[in-house]
Amino acid sequence: MKHLLEINNLDVKFDTDEGRITAIENVSLSLDQGKVLGIVGESGSGKSVTAKSIMQLNPGNTIYNDNAEIIIDEENVLKYHSKNDLKKIRGGKVSMIFQEPMASFAPAIKIGHQMVEQLLLHKSLNKKEAKSISIDMLNRVGIADAEKRFNQYAFELSGGMRQRAMIAMALSTMPKLLLADEPTTALDVTIQAQVINLIKDIIKEYNMGVIFITHDLGVIAQVADDVAVMYLGSIVEKGPVNEILKNPKHPYTKGLLNALPDINNLDAPLRPIPGNIPSPLDRPSGCVFRTRCPNPTHECKEGHIEMGLLEVSPGHWVDQCCINCG
Amino acid sequence: MINFIQFTVTRALLACLTLFLVSLIVFSLMEFVPSNCAERYLAFKNTQGSNITIEDIEAEEKKLGLDRPFVVRFSSWISNIVLKGEFGQSCILRMDINELLSGRFMLSLLICITALIFSYAIAIPVGIISATTKYRSLDNALKFVSYLGIALPNFLVALCIMLFMTIYYGDTMTGLFSEEFENVPWSSDRVKDFLSRAWLPIFVLGWNATAFALQTVRALMLDESDKLYVMAARARGISGMSLLLRYPAKHSLGPVINSLGFDLNRIFSALPIVALILILTESGALLIEALARSNDQQLAGAIIFLLTATIVFVNFVTDIILAIIDPRIRKGVMGGS
Repeated sequence: MKHLLEINNLDVKFDTDEGRITAIENVSLSLDQGKVLGIVGESGSGKSVTAKSIMQLNPGNTIYNDNAEIIIDEENVLKYHSKNDLKKIRGGKVSMIFQEPMASFAPAIKIGHQMVEQLLLHKSLNKKEAKSISIDMLNRVGIADAEKRFNQYAFELSGGMRQRAMIAMALSTMPKLLLADEPTTALDVTIQAQVINLIKDIIKEYNMGVIFITHDLGVIAQVADDVAVMYLGSIVEKGPVNEILKNPKHPYTKGLLNALPDINNLDAPLRPIPGNIPSPLDRPSGCVFRTRCPNPTHECKEGHIEMGLLEVSPGHWVDQCCINCG
Repeated sequence: MINFIQFTVTRALLACLTLFLVSLIVFSLMEFVPSNCAERYLAFKNTQGSNITIEDIEAEEKKLGLDRPFVVRFSSWISNIVLKGEFGQSCILRMDINELLSGRFMLSLLICITALIFSYAIAIPVGIISATTKYRSLDNALKFVSYLGIALPNFLVALCIMLFMTIYYGDTMTGLFSEEFENVPWSSDRVKDFLSRAWLPIFVLGWNATAFALQTVRALMLDESDKLYVMAARARGISGMSLLLRYPAKHSLGPVINSLGFDLNRIFSALPIVALILILTESGALLIEALARSNDQQLAGAIIFLLTATIVFVNFVTDIILAIIDPRIRKGVMGGS
């Protein structure tokens, strides 16, 4: 079967005053229609940069490697440079929702106007049609009084409603792929559950693919079909969500799971992963995880060991350097 | 709508209160200057050769009403200004201040406001462009020019231009009119003559203001461009000028309007020195004359009052404009709809 999205060998580097920083190294992943791929990792692990690469939304000093491919509809979208091409992956076939629903609406433009603006840009509609589609979409995501909300500003809505409106806006152009960058992190838990359910319903209804970025493994367990665990710009483990959560192979994935509070034993001390994520400026040589690995070997450091992912069971891939680390 | 009227009225009352407080300060400062109007006038007479006595001074004080208490004098001063628009007599020149200032203050206002418009007309588009080309040499060039604008004092620029004009055209370009039009009534030729000369003070005042405004606009644009909503708009496919103008530029407008009153203030403050150098016959030069040379407190007070009134008025207007254009403030002001 043809994948909806395929990322092959993606490296992303940023040119800064301090030198060239590697943000993403050799990331490959794929996503099928109707599926949710969760990307988990700490801040700075490259989750957002990966998603933004799909829409080429990374800042001006970004350098992509020449042999990287991001394939949507048999086209390498990394080769898109013209305004019209970029439009296809920005709001056309791909939409994105962000962590801060308040900050992602322009504060001084009515929500409805921002929705209509996007629709007019991507679909051949007149303003009236665009308005009625927008109001339908607002209704669809469970916003009561949609007609009134259409004429309001983001600051007049509650946090949950803003994120619903953001989802309505993202879906109004019927994208094939939705990038959700920590869409529930800024919401309180009950609203979080509502928004997650909404996203799950919508995936079914529109049969779209979703990349769901979060640092919350609990959320991943609820929404994702597959999961990719990122550490310092690389995927260290990926596979079906049940397999990864039940049978993690990489010490980092194990660490993330161990760090979750145990609901049956709330007195148990939390077990954070020792050490800190290194600065991208100070990327470890050899295996990137070796500075936090429970038992690193000389080979890890020298990088003599075979790098890259290895399939340990069907669909379950692990960074081969770390399979036997702990 | 009711709320909006309420807001406007409140703001207007606050503006009046500000003006009242400022006038009180101005009047008190006039009082603190050693010796009063009568003494100064007679002292001035004395230098012209006439002998004066204590009785002369007391008679003069009575004539000018200076024997009345402070509060009475202040209330009559302020009520004359507010109710009749009269500033009274100049202390030293013994002329009606209204007559002395008629036209001159308008000229000052015209020069300052033109300089302000000129600087924003340049600063807004250039600032926007400068912010979009973050890493390019154009931006660096603009930065250099605008730092130069901030660093070079107005009077130095004025002197340089005067020097240049004198060498190449044999005319210093000082004054607001050439000799033949100096003291004739307004006519189309006089307007032409005025414009042919007024560009210099406008340029000198505007040069510095433009540099400041450019930095303001650029900083605001950079600030807004980095915000998430701009990235979100890009993610929806909006690009180019429609992105720039509708998103960061639109959202920078509020603070830019806010800075108008501030900049007018700065231009006004720079005017007297520029006026002195360019020998302009407007109220800025008169203010320096009154403050520093003849110690004419009545005249200085009147000019400072007018300047303050203008700045307070401009701030009042920008407040109202902001309330109209920014939905966040508008909602707060007008409530519901």
